[in-house]
Amino acid sequence: MKTVLGDEQLAFLAELRSYLDGLDPELVAATRAENIDDPMQPREHGRRFLRTLGADGWLGVSWPREYGGQGRTAIESWLLAEELYSRRLPNGLLTLNAIGPTLMLVGTDAQKAEYLPRIRAGELEFAIGYSEPDAGSDLASLRTRAVRDGDDYVVNGQKIWTTGASVATHFWLAVRTGPQEARHKGVSIFITPMDTPGITITPIITQGGERTNAVFLDNVRIPASSMVGAENEGWKALVTALNFERMFYHNEPRWELRQLTDWAAEAGLLDGDTPEAHALQATVGEHAVDVEICRLFALRGARLLAEGRVPHFEASVNKVWWGELRQRICSTGLDLIGEDGTIATGSPYAPAHGHLEHGLRSSPVWRFGGGTNEIQLDIIATQGLGMPR
Amino acid sequence: MIDIDLTDDEALLAKTVRSWFADFVDNSYLNAQRDSADGYEAARWEQMCALGWTGINLPGRVGGADGTLAEAGLVAREYGRAAFASPLLATMRTATALDTLGGCDPVLSRIAAGGRAALVAPADRTVHAAPAGDGTYRLAGPPTVVEWLTQAADVALLLPVAGGETWICALTSPGELADRTVAVPSVDNERVFRLDLDGLRVTPALDGIAPRAAAYALARANLLRASAMVGGCEAVLEMSTRYAMERVQFGQPIGAFQAVRHHLGRMVIALDAARLTCNEALTRADRDVDETAIAAVALFAAGRSYVEIVLTAAQIHGGVGTTTEHVLHHHYLRAKAMQLRAGKRANRLREIHQALVVRREGSLW
Repeated sequence: MKTVLGDEQLAFLAELRSYLDGLDPELVAATRAENIDDPMQPREHGRRFLRTLGADGWLGVSWPREYGGQGRTAIESWLLAEELYSRRLPNGLLTLNAIGPTLMLVGTDAQKAEYLPRIRAGELEFAIGYSEPDAGSDLASLRTRAVRDGDDYVVNGQKIWTTGASVATHFWLAVRTGPQEARHKGVSIFITPMDTPGITITPIITQGGERTNAVFLDNVRIPASSMVGAENEGWKALVTALNFERMFYHNEPRWELRQLTDWAAEAGLLDGDTPEAHALQATVGEHAVDVEICRLFALRGARLLAEGRVPHFEASVNKVWWGELRQRICSTGLDLIGEDGTIATGSPYAPAHGHLEHGLRSSPVWRFGGGTNEIQLDIIATQGLGMPR
Repeated sequence: MIDIDLTDDEALLAKTVRSWFADFVDNSYLNAQRDSADGYEAARWEQMCALGWTGINLPGRVGGADGTLAEAGLVAREYGRAAFASPLLATMRTATALDTLGGCDPVLSRIAAGGRAALVAPADRTVHAAPAGDGTYRLAGPPTVVEWLTQAADVALLLPVAGGETWICALTSPGELADRTVAVPSVDNERVFRLDLDGLRVTPALDGIAPRAAAYALARANLLRASAMVGGCEAVLEMSTRYAMERVQFGQPIGAFQAVRHHLGRMVIALDAARLTCNEALTRADRDVDETAIAAVALFAAGRSYVEIVLTAAQIHGGVGTTTEHVLHHHYLRAKAMQLRAGKRANRLREIHQALVVRREGSLW
């Protein structure tokens, strides 16, 4: 069997850990609190943290040197994500992990020069504009339209579930440039600053307290040079970015399991010898198996990337497993806690600091965000096994 | 789908073993062996030994091929893929356990020369040994089920000493255990025996084995069973994929129906979970690592996935998959049997909990 983690990778991890241990504890604590509160929107502290990492050369470790990276493999990038998430710290979200790598593959030289160095420095944050009120899983039916007008395109329409729009600097926007019936063959991708005139952002607050948004586009003028890829050929960039996004699921279930086991240790159940302790140990044992599997699914994606391939159905496997496992740990974890589990996050009496109940409230998006798990299962069967559509 | 973990040499080995089995093993063959007196063909056994499979991971000094546990695992994987039954897995497990413990070279030499062996090590530690003077031990506990016991030349007993501070390993033969052995029908096509060790007095070949050493020897042996189950998962997913493309209902292959595609998608996830954990465990299980957690994870994942996959495959195949005319029925029966040979689910999970969560063994995080 091939060796995956060699001495070089383990040395990288040791160096990373020593770097993270040396960061300003106040910055780390504030970033962690912000990230636990709402992980999809790095705000004041998260952005300060990411800029620090960027300045110290720890963002884009697997990016080529020509784009300011360390030129390491995707394995190191995976180690970085696992380590940061184990500390519940942000690792650059989709901007660094999906948009940057996609631009490397499909962006123009000018776009690469304009965006990649600033993404790697942690200065930019992209919001992703795919979903619309009538285009969710059926994304190829999207209706937000861009019409050519001189050197610009003029965009009108509405996006929804645009998480991070209110803190983003830029918008990665999927629009219709071809006929409606052309479906995915009539879609183009643009990048535009989030403060472009004509963009209005209204908040949508979820049951978990996270903010997402509706974004209205009203005669928004975007230069033609801001198109990513050719006109009507944006689907490729979109699918590439989604595949990177679906590999963007790492160590979160392990963190949630640790909240449960920390609680169990305090409750005397972790190593106890009572029927109640035994029941907990069996449940946690299976969670621990599934966390190891989650690690290996993410690592497989990194290995494929390191071999120069973009994970496809493998990314879907990773995403389905990750989301369902997180939700399962929160739900069955609360089962083990019992009645006290009804005390909500924010109370000092909430077991496991309320992380499990908060997680359960946040969990629906884990199963449908980035493409519903039902669509993922279809991708696995069609791309992985060759089933007909 | 290719297995990205394999080196070129390993991929070649897997291909060779696979085509050897594919040459003669089909459902009719498996049915015939199941109904035969011995349960397997002696001539095929000799061929497998001549190919060097039983000694593939044994040291050269006992006549083995000095290969890795991963190579033995790949032989076991193809064995499982073929749903082939014989003393091969029992012999390889015995050899691997004894080799890991060390100090049993004469038995290993006999195995490498083509001898069959059986391992008695109840998964739930139900049989204990108590010191009975003069270096002997008296065994106590309920009867246990052993695969291919009477066909073996050598039988290894690997048991905890009452109190759990140490383990012993005793070497014996089916003849010495004959009046304690009853052949019982197995759920699957392997042959099993009910062995009553209660009251037996043994002189161990190895004494004072540390519990961790015993656990590691068994963990490495059990990885071969895990790998066989991964092979079973692969075979069943492949036949289900084929069937979903061939079987036409409502004017289209049933694989065009989303409900069926989702079943297949879940089967891929289950297979990948089993294969990735098993491969990682095989990679990490070098002779002196003494790390049982990932091997226990692999064994659990393989059993869970194999059972999940055969249950779903039976649903995709419908009636045709339930008949003894279809090879799926062998996998269906083997999946649960092989999973159960790892013992009780809750006990295994609590051990994994101890290793991974309490001791945090072998984890970078």
